[in-house]
Amino acid sequence: MSTLPQFENHARQDKKYTTCYMCACRCGIEVTLEDNQVRFIRGNRNHPVNQGVLCAKGNAGIMKQISPAKLRNPMRRKPGTERGAGEFEEVSWDEALDLLTERLRTIRATDPKKLAFFTGRDQMQALTGLWAQQFGTINWSAHGGFCSVNMAAAGLYMTGQSFWEFGDPDWDRTKYFMLWGVAEDHASNPIKIGIEKLKRRGAKFVSINPVRTGYQAVADEWIPIKPGTDGMLALSMAHVLISRELFDWEFLVRYTNAPFLVVQSPGQQGDGLILRNEEGKPLVWDNEDEEFLDGLQFGISPSLFGEYRTADGRSVKTVMTLMAEKYLDPRYAPEAAAKVCGVPAETIERLALEMAHVAFRETIEVDCEWTDWEGRKHDKFIGRPVSMHAMRGISAHSNGFQSCRALHLLQILLGTIDCPGGHRAKAPFPRHTPPPIKPARDTAPNTPLASPPLGFPMAPEDLVIDAEGRPLRIDKAYSWEAPIANHGLMHMVITNAVNGDPYPIDTLIFFMANMAWNSTMNSRDVQDMLRAKGEDGEYKIPFLVVVDAFHSETVNFADLVLPDTTYLERFDAISMLDRPISEPDSPCDSIRQPVLEPDRNVRPWQEVMVDMAGRLGFPAFVDEAGNPKFTGYTDFIARWEKAPGIGFLAGWRGENGESHMRGAPNPDQWQKYIENQCFFQYHLPEHMRFYRFANRDYLDWAKEVGFNASNEPIVMKLYSEVLQKFRLAGQGLYDGPQPADPTDKKRLVDYCDPLPDWYLPLEESRIDADEYAFHAVNQRPMHMYHSWDSQNAWLRQITAQNFLYMNRKRAEEMGIEDLSWVWVESHNGRIRVQVKHMEGCQRDTVWTWNAIGKQAGAWGLDADAPEARRGFLMNHLISELLPPADGERRLTNSDPITGQAAWYDLKVKISPAAPGEVGSWPEFPAMRGLPGTAESPAELRYHTHEAVNLRRSFKDVLTRK
Amino acid sequence: MRLGLVIDLDTCVGCHACAVACKQWNSSGTTGPLTDYDPYGAEPSGVWFNRIRNFEVGDYPNNKTVNFPMSCMHCETAECVTVCPTGASYKREEDGIVLVDQDKCMGCNYCAWACPYGARELDESSGTMKKCTLCVDRIYDEELPKEERKPACVLTCPTHARFFGDLDDPDTEVSRLVRERGGFQSMPELGYNPTNHYLPPRPTRPVEQERRPQISLQEKIKEWMGRVVEK
Amino acid sequence: MHPALSVIIFTVSSGAGLGLIVLAALFGVFQIGGGLTPNESFWAGLLGLLLTTVGLLASTFHLANPKNAWRAFSRFRSSWLSREGVFAVLLYPFALFYFVLAWQEAAPNWLLACLGLLTALLALATVFSTGMIYACLRTMRQWNTSLVPTNYILMGLALGAVILTTVLTITRGPALEAATTLTLMVLIGAGLGKVIYYFWIGEPRGPTINTATGFTRGAVRLFESGQSSGNFLNKEFGFQPSASLVGKLRLAVYGLGFVIPIVLVALLIANEGGFAFAFIAVLSAFAGIGIERWLFFAEARHVVNLFYGQQHT
Ligand SMILES: Nc1nc2c(c(=O)[nH]1)N[C@H]1C(S)=C(S)[C@@H](COP(=O)(O)OP(=O)(O)OC[C@H]3O[C@@H](n4cnc5c(=O)[nH]c(N)nc54)[C@H](O)[C@@H]3O)O[C@H]1N2
Ligand SMILES: Nc1nc2c(c(=O)[nH]1)N[C@H]1C(S)=C(S)[C@@H](COP(=O)(O)OP(=O)(O)OC[C@H]3O[C@@H](n4cnc5c(=O)[nH]c(N)nc54)[C@H](O)[C@@H]3O)O[C@H]1N2
Ligand code: SF4
Ligand code: SF4
Ligand code: SF4
Ligand code: SF4
Ligand code: SF4
Ligand SMILES: [Mo]
Repeated sequence: MSTLPQFENHARQDKKYTTCYMCACRCGIEVTLEDNQVRFIRGNRNHPVNQGVLCAKGNAGIMKQISPAKLRNPMRRKPGTERGAGEFEEVSWDEALDLLTERLRTIRATDPKKLAFFTGRDQMQALTGLWAQQFGTINWSAHGGFCSVNMAAAGLYMTGQSFWEFGDPDWDRTKYFMLWGVAEDHASNPIKIGIEKLKRRGAKFVSINPVRTGYQAVADEWIPIKPGTDGMLALSMAHVLISRELFDWEFLVRYTNAPFLVVQSPGQQGDGLILRNEEGKPLVWDNEDEEFLDGLQFGISPSLFGEYRTADGRSVKTVMTLMAEKYLDPRYAPEAAAKVCGVPAETIERLALEMAHVAFRETIEVDCEWTDWEGRKHDKFIGRPVSMHAMRGISAHSNGFQSCRALHLLQILLGTIDCPGGHRAKAPFPRHTPPPIKPARDTAPNTPLASPPLGFPMAPEDLVIDAEGRPLRIDKAYSWEAPIANHGLMHMVITNAVNGDPYPIDTLIFFMANMAWNSTMNSRDVQDMLRAKGEDGEYKIPFLVVVDAFHSETVNFADLVLPDTTYLERFDAISMLDRPISEPDSPCDSIRQPVLEPDRNVRPWQEVMVDMAGRLGFPAFVDEAGNPKFTGYTDFIARWEKAPGIGFLAGWRGENGESHMRGAPNPDQWQKYIENQCFFQYHLPEHMRFYRFANRDYLDWAKEVGFNASNEPIVMKLYSEVLQKFRLAGQGLYDGPQPADPTDKKRLVDYCDPLPDWYLPLEESRIDADEYAFHAVNQRPMHMYHSWDSQNAWLRQITAQNFLYMNRKRAEEMGIEDLSWVWVESHNGRIRVQVKHMEGCQRDTVWTWNAIGKQAGAWGLDADAPEARRGFLMNHLISELLPPADGERRLTNSDPITGQAAWYDLKVKISPAAPGEVGSWPEFPAMRGLPGTAESPAELRYHTHEAVNLRRSFKDVLTRK
Repeated sequence: MRLGLVIDLDTCVGCHACAVACKQWNSSGTTGPLTDYDPYGAEPSGVWFNRIRNFEVGDYPNNKTVNFPMSCMHCETAECVTVCPTGASYKREEDGIVLVDQDKCMGCNYCAWACPYGARELDESSGTMKKCTLCVDRIYDEELPKEERKPACVLTCPTHARFFGDLDDPDTEVSRLVRERGGFQSMPELGYNPTNHYLPPRPTRPVEQERRPQISLQEKIKEWMGRVVEK
Repeated sequence: MHPALSVIIFTVSSGAGLGLIVLAALFGVFQIGGGLTPNESFWAGLLGLLLTTVGLLASTFHLANPKNAWRAFSRFRSSWLSREGVFAVLLYPFALFYFVLAWQEAAPNWLLACLGLLTALLALATVFSTGMIYACLRTMRQWNTSLVPTNYILMGLALGAVILTTVLTITRGPALEAATTLTLMVLIGAGLGKVIYYFWIGEPRGPTINTATGFTRGAVRLFESGQSSGNFLNKEFGFQPSASLVGKLRLAVYGLGFVIPIVLVALLIANEGGFAFAFIAVLSAFAGIGIERWLFFAEARHVVNLFYGQQHT
C-alpha cells in the first residue's frame, strides 16, 4: 500500500513573517498563505520572544481574522437616536475624519485639555503619547493605571527595573523560583518556556497564589495565601532574614542606599530625609575615617548600621538600621504574619531560609571580565540564583505598590538583582531610580506639552495640580489622591468626566479599550454614565470616539466609530521607546507587516493618527510651510527622531542600515526588518549582561544609545525619600506644596511609608469583613485574551461560560452545591452566578475567569450565547470608588500612592439563589447588529484546500488480519 | 517502527495550545475540514483531535492540579481498527499510525465505541469518523525543514511537554524519557497497549534551610556597627 | 450509552426473525412434534425473513454516511459487525431455497435437510454475531461478557418461539404442543439469563478515574473538561438513566418480556385461550424485550465518561 500521503501543494503557498497580536506578548510568527487566506500560523523559531512556540490564542489567529464581529466601515450614531441604542449609519472616511479633525481643531485652539485620549491593549504608547503631547492635552494615558502600574512604579523607584514586562527571572540559571500572583501575564510564552527550563534543571518552583491552576499546577510547592496579604508575607520573610543576618552586606553597601544616613527629627521639617552635603550628595558614615562622606564615591567603607550625630546636632541613622528596627518588630514575626496571610509560621520561616541557603550557599559564578562603575575589574559575575516574578495578584490591590516594594526588598537583601540566576532587566532597563522625566502640567492653546503627559514625580512640586491643589488631569493622576500615578487612572476617566470633576471635557477617544464592559469597574453604572445628559439635554460626555476593530460593548456607545485593521493587515512598530520585547541578553524590537489585504473599508489607526497630526499641524508632523512632513505611518516611523539618531526602530539605522541602536534614519529600514523576519535583536557582549546598574561599560553604552540620560550608577533605593517627602507634606512639615484636605493629609501619612510596608487593603478596611467574608479575584484564561476571544470560534468552544469557583469543603459547609446558582453581593451591587467546586482554592477566596461574560449581541454572537446568558463579569461588583466615609469626598478605589485600580480588593458575601433562579444576572438588552454585517454562520468548515486523503488499498482491507 | 507521543505532566500547564494548533493544522491537512457547529451560538462545538482536561488530585490543602492532554494513543492493540467493518480504520504497518480512510468510512461510530480514550469524533457534516493523524502529512513531508517535520501540537507546546518519536527504538528521546521518568499508559488494564505515554510529575527537589542563630536586636546592631565593608 | 431507536429495532426485530427461522428450520428438518406442514413452514420462514429484513434495514439508519454501507462486508476477518452482515446476507439464499422447496415439497429430503440445517446455522451465527458486536467491546464492562451473546440468542429464540406458537395456533398443526412446550422452556431460559446478567453487571469492576489518569493514590476529581458545550463523545456516551428508572424498567422487562408470556403459554398448554393468548404473548414479549434492549444500551457505561467527571464505570 502507498505509505506516503500526497502532501499539500506548497507551490500554491506563500510564507510571510510578522508579529502576533492575539495578545500583548508579541511573539514572532510565520504565516502560510494560500489564495489570500491563512493556511497556518506557526511560531518563528528564530524569534527571541517565543523561540518557535505559539500559545492557544496565537494558533487561533485564523478565527480572529474571519470573525463576524469585524467592523467594516466608519460609522456615526444615527442622528436623533440615543447613545447606546446601537443605531449606526455608515459614513465615508473623509466624512468621518473631517468631522473629527474640525472638532479637535477647535478644542486644540481653545483648551486642549478638553480632549481626553485613553488607550487600552495597544502596544504603541510611544506614538499615542507623542500624539497627545503634540496635541497639547495632558489627558492621555494607556491602560497601565488599571493594569499594573504598581509593579512598574515600585520597580522603577526602587531597583530601576521591574516585574511585568520589564525584567525576567534568569530562567537558565536560577535554582529557586518564587511566583507571586501570576496566572498568565504578558510574557505568556516566555514564562512557559522558562518554567519548563527550570523544572528540567531541577530548580525549585514555589507558587504563592490563592488558586491552583495553570502555572501553579506544576509548582513544586503551592502556598494558598489570603489575597491582599503578600506584602506582609514578604516582610515577614525579611524579618527572618535580617534576624539571622542573612543578607548580602557587599551588595547592600555598594549598590543600594542602605548605608545612607537618614535624619531623625520627628515632628520637624526635614525629618526622614537623607542627610546630604552642600552639593546634595547623600552622606554615609565611614568606618575607617570616622567621618561623614559622600556616599556615592567609591573606595570608602560606609557603615551599614549605626546611629550618629551631625555637627549641627541632628541624630542620623543608616537606612539599614531603620530597616532592622522596623522589620525586627514582632509585628512582622512569622507567628504574627501567619494570622494575616493564612500561611503557617513554619512555612514562612522555611521559605525564607531556603531562599537564603540557595542565595548564599549555592552561589553560582559566570567567569567573565567586567568593570564596575568605579573602574574596578572583576574576573567573574557572582550569581545568587534566587529569582521571583510577580504580577496582578500583587499589583491589583490598594496595597500593591508597597507589597511589590516588599518583594524587591527581599530580592535586594538576597542580592539577586540583575545577577546570574536572579532577576534580570530587559533593555531599556535598568534605568535610574526613577528616570528623570517629569509629568507635563501646563497646557496652552495650539501648543505641544513641554514634556510627556506621564513622568516620575520626585516630590510634591512635581504634582499635576493647580495653585489651590486641585487636580489638573481628568483622571486626577499626580494629585494628592494618587501622587505617583505614573500610568494615569484610566478607570476614573468616565466617572470624573461625567461628574465634571475636576472639569467637564468635550471629546473622549478610546482606542483599543472596552471601557463600557470588562475593562471598567462598575460596568453597569458606567454604561448609564455614558448615556447621562445634563439639564441642557446634552450628553455629559459630549462626543465619544471609539477606535476598535470589532463589535465590542463599547463600540455600541460611540458617537463615531473608526474601524481598525486586524494585526494581520497592518504595519506596526513595536519599539524600545515603548513597552520592550527585549530579552535580558539582547535589546530587541520588532514590526508587523500586512500579510492580508483588508476586505473591508478599514484603516490602521496609526495611519489615521499620522494623517490627523498633519491636518492639525502638529509641529513634529509638519514642515516649516505647515505641510504634512510624512507620507504616512511607515514613513513617520522611519524618519522621526526622538533625539539625533534615535527613533522608533533601533535596527538597521544609518543611510544604508549599517548602524544599530543609534544612527541616521534609514529609508529602507522597514525592508530590512522584513528581510530579518520582522524583528531586530542586538546581542549585548557578555561583560555587559549582568550588574548593569553598576556596570561601567554597560552604563556608558546605555547613555550612548539613549536608554539613560546619564551614565551614573543606578542606586537601588530601599528607602524612598520621594515617599517621605509626600509623607512630610501630609504631616504639614514639607516646605513646598501641601494638601489642605485632612483626608489627603491622613492618606499621605498612613501610606507613604519610605520603607516597604503592609496595610489592610482599603475596601476591606471600610466594610464589615465578617459579613463580606470572601475575597473575589480573577484569573486570565491562558487561551483567551480579555474580551477579544469570545468572537473566536475555536477558543470559545473551550470556554464560553465562566463559573464562580469555590473551595469545595467551604462550599459544602455553607450548603452551596456544585453547579448551583448563587447571589454574590459586594458593597457595590449583586450578581447571580453559577458555582463550581474545586480543591485548589484558598478557603476565603472565590474566583472566576476574566472577561468571559459578554453583553448579548456583542462580538458577533447570538443573543442566547452562554457568554451572555450564563457567563458573568465580576466588574459589576467592583466599584471605581471606595465605600463612602463621612466627612470625606468619594475616593478612587485604587492604590493611594500610584492610583492603580484595586480590582482584587473586592470582598463579597455569597448566598444560594432561590429555586428556579437560574441564568446570570444582571441581564442586559441585546445589542443591535451593525449595518452591513451578515448573520453569523451556523456552521464553519474552514479550510484552504481540499484535504489530501490518505487512501488504504482495497487489497489491504481484504487481506490484513 | 512505533510512532507516538510522550506527554510530560510535570510541565504541562494546560494552556490548550496543542489542541488549537492541531485544530489549525488539520482544518486542511488529511482529514479536514474539522467542522464547527453553532460556532457563534448557544452551544458552540466541533471536531477536535486533541483535548485538554484538568484534574485535581488529593484534598485541599494537599491538592495538586494535573493538566491532562489526550489525543489518539495509536494503540498497539487498536480495537478501533479491529471492529471497523468497512476497513476505513487501519493501523499502518510501517509506523503504527492509526488512520481513517475518509473515502471508506460509513459513519457507524463503532470504532468510537471501541476507543477507551475518546480519540475519535464523528464529523456530522461529512458523515465520517475523524481522529488524530499524528500529523502524518507533516512528519514525512520532505518539503518542510527537518526540524518542522513534527506534529503541529509538538512544535507549538510552550512548555515543551510534548515529545514525538519512535517508541520501538530504545535509543530515541521518547523511549529514554519513558524509561528514565517512569512513563505510564492510561488504563493499561484494558490491554490496548497505547503507544502514547505520560510522564508523571517529577519529585520535588529538597532545599536545605540556612540555619543561623537568632540574637536580640540591640546586640545585633551593636555587633553590626562599625563592620567594615569596602565600597 | 445513548440508546438509538434504530439499533434497538435492529437487534430486537432481527433477533426475533432469526430465532423464528432457526426454529422453523429445525422443526422441519427434525420433524419435531410431527414437524411443520408446508404452509406453516413457508409462513414461518417468510415471517422470519421479514422481521430480519426490517431489523437490518433499521440498522442502516444510524449510519452517517450510508453510501459506504456496502463496504461493511469487507472486514469479515476482524469485525463482528462485518461478520453479522455477511452471515445475514448469506442466510437469505439458503433460507429462501429451503422454505420455498419445503413449501413446494419439490426437493429430495436429503437436500431439504442440508438446506434446513445450513439455514438454521447461519441464522444462529447471525444472532451470535449481533451479540458479539457488543460483547467484544472492552470499553463497556456491561457488554464485555459472554452473557451478552447468550442473551441475544436466548431472546431471539424466545421471540421466535412465541411467534411460531402463534402461527401454529392459527393452523392448528401437529407441532403446536411441542412448540408451546419449547416456547415455555426458552422463555424461562431467557428470563433466567437476564436475571444472571443484571446480577453480573451489578458489581463494579473495570477502569476508574485513577487508572485513567495514572494517579492511583488519593482522590482524583475532574476540574474542567476543556469544553463549554457537549461534543460527539458526550452525545454518544453521556446518557445515563436514573437508578429508579432502571429499577422500574427492569420490572417491566421481567413482567412483559417473560412472566406474562410464560403465563399465557402455560395456559395454552392447558388448552386455554388459543390464538388470542398466543398473540398477546407475542406483543407482550416484544414490548418487554424492546425495553430490555433500551436498558441494554442505556445501562452501558463507556470508559470515556471517566474523562467527563465519572469516578468509575
Ligand atoms: N491569555 C491571556 N494572557 C494575558 C491576558 C489575558 O487576558 N489573557 N491579559 C494580559 C494583561 S492585560 C495582564 S495585566 C496580564 C496579567 O497577568 P496576571 O498577573 O497573571 O493576571 P491575572 O490573570 O489577573 O492573575 C492574577 C493571579 O494572582 C492571583 N491572585 C489574586 N489575588 C492575589 C493575592 O492577593 N496574592 C497572590 N499571591 N495572588 C493573588 C490570582 O489567583 C491569579 O492567579 O496578563 C496579560 N496576559
Ligand atoms: N474584573 C476584572 N476586570 C479587569 C481585569 C481583571 O483582572 N478583572 N483586568 C484589567 C486589566 S489588567 C486590563 S489591561 C484591562 C484590559 O482591558 P482592555 O484593554 O479594554 O482589553 P480588551 O477587553 O481586550 O479590549 C480591547 C479592545 O480592543 C479591541 N481590539 C482588539 N484588537 C484590536 C485592533 O487590532 N485594533 C483596535 N483598534 N482595537 C482592537 C477589542 O475589540 C476590544 O474592544 O481589563 C481590566 N479589567
Ligand atoms: S502569547 Fe500567544 S497570543 Fe500572545 S503574542 Fe504570543 S502567540 Fe500571540
Ligand atoms: S501545549 Fe503543552 S502545555 Fe499546553 S496544554 Fe498542550 S501539552 Fe500542555
Ligand atoms: S486511542 Fe482510540 S482511536 Fe486511537 S488507536 Fe487507541 S483505540 Fe484507536
Ligand atoms: S465509523 Fe467509519 S471508521 Fe468507524 S467503524 Fe464505522 S466505518 Fe469504520
Ligand atoms: S499529532 Fe497532529 S493530529 Fe495528532 S494531536 Fe497532535 S497535532 Fe493533532
Ligand atoms: Mo492588564
